Amino acid sequence: MIRKAKALFTAWLSHMTIYRAEIIIWMLAGMLPLIMMTVWIGKAQAEGGSTGGFSSSQFAAYFLAAWMSGQMTVAWVAWDMSFAVRQGTFSVKLLRPINPFWEYFMQHVTERFVRYPFVFLVVVVGVLLVPGTVLVKQLEHVVVYFFAIILAFIIRFLIAYCIGLACFWLENATALDELYFVLSIMLAGTFAPLEFYPAWLRGLLEYLPFPYIIYYPAQILTGQLDWTQMARVLAVQLLWVGVFFVVYQIMWRLGRKQYGAVGA
Amino acid sequence: MIEVQNLEKHYLVAEKEAGIKGSLQSFFKRQTKTVKAVDGVSFQIASGEMVGFLGANGAGKTTTLKMLSGLLHPSAGVARVAGFVPFERRSSFLKSITLIMGQKQQLMWDLPALDSFLVNQAIYEISDSDYQATMREFTELLELEGVLKKQVRKLSLGERMKCELAAALLHRPKVLFLDEPTIGLDVNMQVKIREFIREYNQRFNATVILTSHYMADVTALCKRIIVVDKGKIIFDGDFSGLLETASPIKIIGLQLERQLSATDLQSYGTLSSLEGLNATFRVARSEVSQRSAKMLSELPIADITIEDPPIEEIIGQLFSRAEVRA
Repeated sequence: MIRKAKALFTAWLSHMTIYRAEIIIWMLAGMLPLIMMTVWIGKAQAEGGSTGGFSSSQFAAYFLAAWMSGQMTVAWVAWDMSFAVRQGTFSVKLLRPINPFWEYFMQHVTERFVRYPFVFLVVVVGVLLVPGTVLVKQLEHVVVYFFAIILAFIIRFLIAYCIGLACFWLENATALDELYFVLSIMLAGTFAPLEFYPAWLRGLLEYLPFPYIIYYPAQILTGQLDWTQMARVLAVQLLWVGVFFVVYQIMWRLGRKQYGAVGA
Repeated sequence: MIEVQNLEKHYLVAEKEAGIKGSLQSFFKRQTKTVKAVDGVSFQIASGEMVGFLGANGAGKTTTLKMLSGLLHPSAGVARVAGFVPFERRSSFLKSITLIMGQKQQLMWDLPALDSFLVNQAIYEISDSDYQATMREFTELLELEGVLKKQVRKLSLGERMKCELAAALLHRPKVLFLDEPTIGLDVNMQVKIREFIREYNQRFNATVILTSHYMADVTALCKRIIVVDKGKIIFDGDFSGLLETASPIKIIGLQLERQLSATDLQSYGTLSSLEGLNATFRVARSEVSQRSAKMLSELPIADITIEDPPIEEIIGQLFSRAEVRA
């Protein structure tokens, strides 16, 4: 398995480095949290330095961490699978003695290695631009964030993969992916920290995967959670990984019988 | 090696009338019908055999190959390939087969073919020594020298097909499903690919099922052919059997020494063409020797040929007959 992962990593890294400019453009397309950052900082300054307990630098820290979390959990596999199923190229993947899941997974993992240096650069510039911004208070938070963001990525990838598998029944799952995208923007903490959401919605969000992909990882990195809260977040993330893995397994088994192998 | 019994594949297909009215009707109430793409197909293929799978577009050839390679779940019936049930997608099964579908590519478009080969080496768990040996052989047989390090998207269609073929056979599969492997290629390249398939079959005793619209592929490679029409097998046997079954005539071609009229030639058989000094007749198989002897003795002949009708015509006749029966 390590040999297969290494070969896929090497090939995809060569591929991704060819498309590094495109990756930067995609990165810029996900700038919404940074735009929201300027909106909220403006509001805080207009209200005498803080809004809802958040100062300008706290907004900057949150939105930079949220943006970075969004960048590290990007998944386009639903779109790719939809295309592959409709064009018949998914058949080529099915003929290989490796589950297509792992090919797509490695493609996404590899892309992070090309994307991250640019993300890091933007975050550093962001921190320097807003005086007093402290993104990381303790090094331990970076370590916990590392695990939290990996789990967040796996949740996001599994959700996207399940949406992609829906094209065995629908033949085109991109509309579903768009729906997920809109919901995630509203509910994952991209527009605002969840502290600004109504209490009833916050309560509801605890039972959904969205905040565990962006909001909570950002809170961990910026040192807003204590050790017990961080442990709870990781545990809930693991639970979501388990839930979506089971959903994926069921959809894979049932969906393959529906697959029409069209276009080939 | 391949056993198929009463294999069926049904699809639910949506139907819609043309135009806005049809679209609206389809939006509120979708009409569907079940299409039997493969309808109770049974056959056996022995190890090392090369079989041509013939049929018109939509006859069920590709659907059958997709079921045999594990892509499609059969609606009914049983298929076993190399001792495996294809749809289960066991790793050992996938390592022992390959399906080449025209120009469907498994090579990574932006990278040299060699990078895709290395990925396949890892995925198929091919040892370094086997990989090197196979690559040496394929480079020689397919003339891949100088091609492997070029970006795939910069290769010509022929070069790309050769690389696709090499990638698909790198793990030395025992069973080859070849669906239109020479589609879109020029005649020289078709011949090269054909030669390679023949060589591969002989070297590795591989079992091959081949579909192709180029009849030359099938006649050059396969002794046995299976003809499919509307999801059913309408012929399974060798070429001579096909000729006897489907074509009771032979074509006698004459090159005359001097111009004759159609009236002069009418009594020698059914005259199918007369252009200048060249005349062709369609003659019943049983009468070929008697008729040709008569022609030779009575007509001013420079040259004579006796041939079977083109295979396309024979297959066409077989389809028409199946249609009449249905």
